[in-house]
Amino acid sequence: MQRVAIDADRLQRDLEAIVGPRRVSMRGVDLDTYARDMWPRLLIAYREGHAVTHRPHAVVWPEHVREIVAVVKLARELRVPIIPYGGGSGVCGGAVPLYGGITIDTKRMQTLRSVRSDELICDVEAGLSGERFERELARRGYTFGHFPSSIYCSTVGGWLATRAAGQLSTKYGKVEDRVAGLTVVTGRGEIIETDGPNRALRGPSWTQLIAGSEGTLGLITSARLRVAPAPQLKVFRGFEVDDVATGVLAIRRVLQRGLRPAVVRLYDELDTLMNSFGSHDETPEPVDADRHAPLPPIETGALPAWPGPAPKQETGLFARLSNLAKGKHLRRDAMHAALGKSSLVNKVVGTVAEKIARRGCRLIVGLEGARIRTEVEAALTFAELEAAGARDKGEDPGWRWLEHRYAVSYRMSPVFRDGAFVDTMEVASTWERLMDLYHSVRSAIGQHAVVMAHFSHAYPDGCSIYFTFAGTADDADGAERVYDAIWRDGLEAATRVGGTISHHHGVGLLKAPYMAGEHREAMAIFEAAKASLDPDNIFNPGKMGLRGRR
Amino acid sequence: MTLEAELVTAVGEEFVEIVDENSYRVRPGSPAEVAEVIRRAGSHRAAVHPVGAGGRATDPSADNRPRVFISTRRLDQVLQLDEASLLVHAQAGITGLELERVLGPRGLSIGDYPPVVLTSSLGGIIAVRTPGKSSARHGFFEDAVVGLSAVLADGRTIHTRVAPRRATGPDLARALCGSEGTIGFITDAVLRIHAKPEARLVAAYQLPSVDAAVSAVYLALREEAAPSGLRIYDAVEAKRHFGDGSPIPVGQALLVAATAGPTDLAACDRDLITSAVIAEGGSASDHTLAELWWRRLHAGEPTPGPPPTLQVMATPSKMRAVYHQVVSEMIAKGASARAHISRFDADGAVMFFTMERSGEPIDDSLLTAAEKAAEAAGAWLLGARAHKLDVYLRALRESLDPDRIMNPGTLA
Repeated sequence: MQRVAIDADRLQRDLEAIVGPRRVSMRGVDLDTYARDMWPRLLIAYREGHAVTHRPHAVVWPEHVREIVAVVKLARELRVPIIPYGGGSGVCGGAVPLYGGITIDTKRMQTLRSVRSDELICDVEAGLSGERFERELARRGYTFGHFPSSIYCSTVGGWLATRAAGQLSTKYGKVEDRVAGLTVVTGRGEIIETDGPNRALRGPSWTQLIAGSEGTLGLITSARLRVAPAPQLKVFRGFEVDDVATGVLAIRRVLQRGLRPAVVRLYDELDTLMNSFGSHDETPEPVDADRHAPLPPIETGALPAWPGPAPKQETGLFARLSNLAKGKHLRRDAMHAALGKSSLVNKVVGTVAEKIARRGCRLIVGLEGARIRTEVEAALTFAELEAAGARDKGEDPGWRWLEHRYAVSYRMSPVFRDGAFVDTMEVASTWERLMDLYHSVRSAIGQHAVVMAHFSHAYPDGCSIYFTFAGTADDADGAERVYDAIWRDGLEAATRVGGTISHHHGVGLLKAPYMAGEHREAMAIFEAAKASLDPDNIFNPGKMGLRGRR
Repeated sequence: MTLEAELVTAVGEEFVEIVDENSYRVRPGSPAEVAEVIRRAGSHRAAVHPVGAGGRATDPSADNRPRVFISTRRLDQVLQLDEASLLVHAQAGITGLELERVLGPRGLSIGDYPPVVLTSSLGGIIAVRTPGKSSARHGFFEDAVVGLSAVLADGRTIHTRVAPRRATGPDLARALCGSEGTIGFITDAVLRIHAKPEARLVAAYQLPSVDAAVSAVYLALREEAAPSGLRIYDAVEAKRHFGDGSPIPVGQALLVAATAGPTDLAACDRDLITSAVIAEGGSASDHTLAELWWRRLHAGEPTPGPPPTLQVMATPSKMRAVYHQVVSEMIAKGASARAHISRFDADGAVMFFTMERSGEPIDDSLLTAAEKAAEAAGAWLLGARAHKLDVYLRALRESLDPDRIMNPGTLA
């Protein structure tokens, strides 16, 4: 990627003229910070001390839409790229400035402008963090119902740009299901609004064309989003099922009966086992030893401990895996020993793990909402699950999951610190293909790394599968090679069996090479939207399988 | 080769009909033939107009280009029924009702959409937006579209990925939904379908006013009731629809509701509506009115009286004002207006007004006055366009269709 040539002095002068000197930075430390997001491949390079490869030329923090319009016009004039930047929590490299350019951080645009109780719609600026957004809505008696594990470090605009999903999406939908209108600064430097009742407007849905475009068509500055009254009642419960197939069928029966639990999460055998290792009966290690792991502390794993005795093995492969699950420090050689035998670990899942655990698979179900309907729906949901062979394990596992649900992201840093890598692959398919998708992707990743999965984000027509994999190699180059092979084989397997390559993390750089396989000729529509909204290819060039800069 | 010869080559002589010296009607039998027709029409810079079950093309432009009307009538196959995922893959020419006839015996259904909507071909239902294509339980029809296949202006066929949800860029199928054949010619679609509900309950209520009825509906929806149908009638409209059987006094309103699903849930939803009605000062009314309403809606029994004169879409907060504004405007002009409100979904509902003066239908100037009154009160008129976005739509079309062959004149 060739960095575009820019007269830095002029750029700084012009940007300062737009937003003032305090909200522009061309300092090295800032440019390094905005050179990446949370894409694990970049974190591997960062850990190994590799030089930053793609830095923006400048970072700006606008406070008004008009400032963004002015910056876009300047970028068009200077022919430099613009990279929209929210919380920086993306895991696909979508915010990496491939050709340099101006990174626009939206976090100073963070007002919840209004909540219309009579329409159940709010108007919110794109830079507002997820956690603050929910807190402000809760204060007014509402919820957006969007709770990704990144909620502390992601923004509303980032959610919309990537078609994000929260953990309660089975009831509230993904973010694109709840957007009534967007305000966008396009690549032409114009402000457009896409509001209006879908069924009364003629022509393509611009809202649905721009949602998920990851900053390649324009910058989302604010949105009208559908809110719901804050839940009056929450009901959470744990179940166990004999195996994944039984659990999948049980979830399908619930959804297709017209019931809408807020959350259903089915953990496969290894994920169930790993989380039983991750029980919280030990004194956690101090968090401040880990500069990369912010709050909440690592000992509060996102997933609750499964009731029952811990495995007896204290040493060997499972003990190492257990330490990994708890986020404990492992020396690089120990980590390598734990993960280097990935094929062995993956093979024992069907045999040893089951025998050790004899627990089958864990299923967490939660419902929330208006009191009366939630009560009725919960009773029907639990009865349907039991009829499908699920065994009720009481409320505790459900509430423990809820309590620790954000912590998963914060358990990854120790793995990186100890010389390995961990990442997640979220694919989805219709129910008919779901078990094929599970087996194909699991076996593809399993050649290279330890892999576990849970099924979440269920719909009447299908479900998403969230694979977590952890791997290692002798050196950084080796780690990158293994990492790339996992994604290549995993996504090719997903496409082969008719799944989609991403349910909610997005595409960015990571999945850009697979977009042609995902959409085939239909990419022509995306390319036409790009030509229409961003004719000069200013916005986030080179991402999502769209063309780069010449 | 002449255009006619090209078309005959593409679909066979018996499926090419000469409409006049410059236009043809063709009936391709497969998506590959559609692609061939469009490719050959494009080489003559002929305009391509899709024709669905109604046999009527949308807004052909007035220029002198040769025209090819492509009927979807022979594209009437159900390609796959995935009962595990509750999805059906069907060609664009099958009508909603024909599809229902395939699904019904298997205990399946497209959903609670009004049968009048389902008389159109699938391609037409998806490609042309009207506010009626919505239901409180199943949402806007486009939300049921999981995947689409379409032929672009250059003859390429695209198939959007079928997945319950995804995060792989924009929803490309939604570029074609509502695009009225200007972006691509829809050849088939994958739709979400539903198991027929275990129970279906109906109920009728009397409320002190239309305003109270609207409030009761939204109170129930806030409590998360998910009815399969709701309709509010003002007293005059109730009288017209139910004759002397209507017990609703002047100034008051009738609300009818249907709920569906697992029996406990259907009963729960009905009870939530009942308690919302009571909270707004209403009470239960004659149950047979609700049964008659449902039979008319879904069993083909005719509704008396002329069809509504004006349909508008209103969001929850605007509905009451729109109703009063249109009624007052008509009274001020010596006419009368009555209304029912139906097709509720997350965006709002559709308001159907019938206006008369001295027992006769109103003229265009009065209709315009009613439309203006509705718009001033915040309603959306049918066929509204976000004109500020026209420049972007134009550029999108130019990029895919530089010769402007795809339904030119529409959305222009």
